[in-house]
Amino acid sequence: MPDNWSFVFAAYGLAALVLGGYWRRLARRERELATRERGSGGARRAPARRGESGSADPATMTRPS
Amino acid sequence: MKRLQRALGWLAVAGLAAGLVMAFGVAPREATQGNVQRIMYLHVPAILVAYLAFGVVLVASVSYLWGRAAGADRLAHASAEVGVVFTSINIATGAIWGKPTWGAWWTWDARLTSVSIMFVIYLAYLLLRAMIEDRERAARFAAVLGIIAALDIPLVHFSVYWWRTLHQPPTLLRPGSTPMDAMLVAALTINLIAFTLLSAYFVAKRVRLLKREQEVLA
Repeated sequence: MPDNWSFVFAAYGLAALVLGGYWRRLARRERELATRERGSGGARRAPARRGESGSADPATMTRPS
Repeated sequence: MKRLQRALGWLAVAGLAAGLVMAFGVAPREATQGNVQRIMYLHVPAILVAYLAFGVVLVASVSYLWGRAAGADRLAHASAEVGVVFTSINIATGAIWGKPTWGAWWTWDARLTSVSIMFVIYLAYLLLRAMIEDRERAARFAAVLGIIAALDIPLVHFSVYWWRTLHQPPTLLRPGSTPMDAMLVAALTINLIAFTLLSAYFVAKRVRLLKREQEVLA
């Protein structure tokens, strides 16, 4: 049987595309959430733990519009 | 937690690199099919990881209905999404493998049909979650569907025994010893470990994102 390398590369390429695409989607969502959290001044975020950036300063808290 | 998730991600990358080396550099050329058989190192781990992810959906759904813990619901949601990603890889690579070996991209074979039904059921699961605005209601309905959907997993796996199919029977998850060469089994196992690590990384990342989304939107 011929080796059909083109099919092998197509399969691996497609899998890389799907996995890379999903990883990028998660990374984009993470960036969007970080922007939102910064936008709301960390008001609706859980209190920051040690070593994490962002704070839940009651002075800057706003009510959701 | 984030550090653990990052470590998991790097472990998955290392595993995938090792898997590629095993699949293309170490595993021998298969005698009957030739090099096209190397698609197996993607195709088989993808479905086994999808089974695992959907199994987690089942356990997390039962746990949610039992205790109404939001964490269980997030785990079910994240696992379903990751399971769908890996099932799509399994179906696509199966079609690519089928063309040179069977002469067809697709056939209405019991295995191919049942795995496609499983894919559509879990897509419907994700759609159901997206359609219902009330989070508690969405979680409850999704948990019920997550339990019912799991009934299709044994149907997919045993379809090759229960019906006459073009698809070969399982080579790893089968009673008795595997008929495969030890080096092929080693390559398959390393790729399976790599895919499991990658899916665990994706699930952990998605669970964290879902938690943050709920905090932001609350």
